[in-house]
Amino acid sequence: MSDSADPVIVFRNITKVYHLLGENVTALLDVSGSVRRGEFIAIMGPSGSGKSTLLNMLGCLDVPDSGEILINGIETTNMSDDELTKLRRDHIGFIFQQFNLIPLLTARENVEYPLLLKTGSADCDDRCLDVLRSVALESHLDHHRPNELSGGQQQRVAIARALVNDPEILLCDEPTGNLDSKTGNAIMELLSRLCTHQNKTVIMVTHDPSLAVYANRTIHIVDGRISGVA
Amino acid sequence: MQQRLFFNLAIRNLRIHWLRSLLAAIGIIIGVVAITSMGILGNGLTLSVSESLSDVGDSIVVSPHVGYYGMGSSPGNSRISERELEQIRRAAGNADVIPVYSGGERIKVGRETGAAVIYGLDPKDIPLMLDKLEGQYIRGSSGVMAGKKLAEEYDLIVGSRVLIGEEETGVRVTGILDERGMGFDINPDYGLVFSDQWYRNYYHEEGYDSVIVKVRDLSHIESTKAAIEAQLNRRETTVDVYDTRAILETILETFGRIATFTMAIGGISLLVAGVSIFNVMMMSVMERYKEIGILRSIGTLRSEVRKIFIYESLLLGLGGSLIGGLLSFIGGYVAILIMLEETRYLFEPSSLVYIPYGMAFGIVTSVVSGLYPAWKASNLNPIEALRHE
Ligand SMILES: Nc1ncnc2c1ncn2[C@@H]1O[C@H](COP(=O)(O)OP(=O)(O)OP(=O)(O)O)[C@@H](O)[C@H]1O
Ligand SMILES: [Mg+2]
Repeated sequence: MSDSADPVIVFRNITKVYHLLGENVTALLDVSGSVRRGEFIAIMGPSGSGKSTLLNMLGCLDVPDSGEILINGIETTNMSDDELTKLRRDHIGFIFQQFNLIPLLTARENVEYPLLLKTGSADCDDRCLDVLRSVALESHLDHHRPNELSGGQQQRVAIARALVNDPEILLCDEPTGNLDSKTGNAIMELLSRLCTHQNKTVIMVTHDPSLAVYANRTIHIVDGRISGVA
Repeated sequence: MQQRLFFNLAIRNLRIHWLRSLLAAIGIIIGVVAITSMGILGNGLTLSVSESLSDVGDSIVVSPHVGYYGMGSSPGNSRISERELEQIRRAAGNADVIPVYSGGERIKVGRETGAAVIYGLDPKDIPLMLDKLEGQYIRGSSGVMAGKKLAEEYDLIVGSRVLIGEEETGVRVTGILDERGMGFDINPDYGLVFSDQWYRNYYHEEGYDSVIVKVRDLSHIESTKAAIEAQLNRRETTVDVYDTRAILETILETFGRIATFTMAIGGISLLVAGVSIFNVMMMSVMERYKEIGILRSIGTLRSEVRKIFIYESLLLGLGGSLIGGLLSFIGGYVAILIMLEETRYLFEPSSLVYIPYGMAFGIVTSVVSGLYPAWKASNLNPIEALRHE
């Protein structure tokens, strides 16, 4: 764990246990670490090792049973649900394997949604068009619904949506898992550019060792524990 | 702006599931029409009853107590004696005290025969009690005044001759009385009104059938009634004393209750509609598990998720209630047409208010039915919702 000058995320002694039918599943056990601003981190490990669980904790979607998480130096342990939600809205962008666009909204509206949530203002067209251009989505697709877009196009819209509120942190859970390798590589190039050019902190869960080349560091998790950092 | 966003989501979801939404809205439509039509019907009923009742709310009616045989009268034919009349006069203070003879008799007009109610009143009391439509009030002891309905039935006009009873005693109609409606004191619409002297000469009877006390000030009605009872019923109950206002109130209250009851029946259908809205909203929440997870993960607050779903049920309620409100005109029209054979009551303000009432009930029912589903949606664990397929 490098001692970072400007840690955007710090997590200490995180433990998460799920209770299933009287059986306890330890998804994470006493995991610690920190992430610097502008870093590109890959999280790897076997299926069921706790990668997604860790990512969700860092994204304040879930709370650990014990341990603490600091986002931008702010302790999140005692935050209310509303405070955590606003933290996600303003500082964290999620990118999922399943794209997870809102099916009722068009591409443009999907991108607009988090901005409207945050600012409540009507004139966010410019910002939306900017981010859609920055992820290189063809402009004639703006008014298509998610089910009318290809996987790669949907993932671009999802990235634009994650970027629209200009968050410091992008959390990606197997962002290329549902894409062919050519489209996947284009998405990886996009994430990498966001990291280097816009100083976004990217944390990405992946199964694919070849994607680790994009990362500054790779955290390996086995059975809920960090087995190595490279 | 954000509100518009949540509203938009609600509208789009309803539109995608238009059939389901339509069915739920139809439930509300039926509920609103039912509750409103029943309300209009009940009100029409009350209106028609109160219209047919005369507005005699200022009288006290004193009649012989059933089962009491007053002094000087034979059993089975109890009457109010002159002495009792005097007591009533004393108790009534400055109120008008009007002794009444009443009975029934066969009548014959030209070739036509039938029966009529017969009243005997002091000629000076008649104008106090009854309005005249045509002709003259009775003066002295001769002549008779005919009720309007009776006059219509037998084509009586001023100057017509009526033969009374077995002996066919002839009397001439001096005037026609205005319609009075059903009353609790006297009902001369189908009757003939004679002078008290004529009545006594004809029947040779002692004592009156009833005594009407008309108070000058309505607020005295209770005290006057109590005074009469104190005078006459001190030792034993000799007379029954009714206050027409109380009777009127009791009757209107009863009809009001009937109206409430019919509306409650309409309310049941609204309850059913509420259950169907609840069902639709629960389905919507179940289907949109994953979408709710997405909304939450990208920063939608719990309260905002709640709004999306409450707007959805609100829209169903608004749509259903608006259409239901319009159809209520038809429903109410049909209801009172069938039940009362009279449709003008529909346009009375007291009937029309049931339309906004019914609509408000429809909207409230929908929103209340949507509360739990909305609460449920907002309290989903975002991660579990996201994992949902
Ligand atoms: N909601 C839950 N309820 C119960 N157990 C859970 C839950 N979420 C995760 N787990 C368990 O926690 C462990 C870690 O799960 P996690 O999803 O983090 O794995 P992962 O590393 O992301 O796996 P994959 O590579 O297959 O996505 C697994 O054993 C899983 O069964
Ligand atoms: Mg996973």
